[in-house]
Amino acid sequence: MARMDRWMTGFARSLARRTSRRSVLAGIGTALVGGAAVPLLPVARGRAEPAPGDRVTPSGEPDPTTPAGDPQDCGYWRYCAVDGFLSSCCGGSHNACPPGTQMSPITWLGTCRNPADGKEYVISYNDCCGKDVCGSCICRRHEGDKPVYYTPKSNDIDWCMGTREIIYNSTVAVVVGVAREKG
Amino acid sequence: MSRAGLGLAALALALAAPARGETPEVNYLLQCQGCHLPDGSGKSGAVPDLKDLGRFLAVPGGREYLVRVPGSAQSPLSDADLAALLNWMLRRFGPAAIADTLEPYTPEEITALRRPPLADVAATRARLLARLRAGD
Repeated sequence: MARMDRWMTGFARSLARRTSRRSVLAGIGTALVGGAAVPLLPVARGRAEPAPGDRVTPSGEPDPTTPAGDPQDCGYWRYCAVDGFLSSCCGGSHNACPPGTQMSPITWLGTCRNPADGKEYVISYNDCCGKDVCGSCICRRHEGDKPVYYTPKSNDIDWCMGTREIIYNSTVAVVVGVAREKG
Repeated sequence: MSRAGLGLAALALALAAPARGETPEVNYLLQCQGCHLPDGSGKSGAVPDLKDLGRFLAVPGGREYLVRVPGSAQSPLSDADLAALLNWMLRRFGPAAIADTLEPYTPEEITALRRPPLADVAATRARLLARLRAGD
């Protein structure tokens, strides 16, 4: 142990004699700048470019490289006819229900235009059911919504049909296809 | 404006008007899939299964029924779009042999059939299915 102490003391003293504080600072500075430069090398860009067939996009979903917007904001493009609470604010996401709820298979469908690529997408508004009303992020938009006497296209209806529970919690907006390439 | 000019203006307007007609696939998504589900299986006891939809064509009244059923007759589709959609659905949901024998619906046929309201849908459907079973 004593031998190791002596060796460490000797190493530290010789290091102190040979190096100035400035040279240490310069070294750290070089390391910082050099480190920051590494991710800028073309290797990183090469990785960001997806290979053909590499892209994991759910059926009909827009190209993931187009600007997506904020799925927690009622103004998000695919919520153009939502009337309810956004699943994305309730522990789920824009196309997945919060834990503990069940997504109703029976839904109503409409189209929304994605401003990022100008396409009209077919959106399925599935209600998430089986837990009490979420209460966060109420969203009321009515593009294409019809009065309740035209049931299949009305967003005023509790669409918790075909699920175990009929209690409404929140709503998702699932893209199921492209209606028109340019709206 | 000359008559030719008016004609040209009308033509330009017609061309500029956005085409609302969708493909049968998209119309299925928008008008049917919400209840009948993507594979047509529906919900037992509430939404009829579309599998072998074409079997209705084998009994008298069946061809009319597929047009007069509220989901068809009361849809916001034009007669031409409804004809195209029904023809597409018959090929999609079968039976498979229908592709050879199907006499496609025409827009004119839809115009004539969808008008008279179908008062008791469930009873009509049950009667047709009973006839189908009797024919088996």
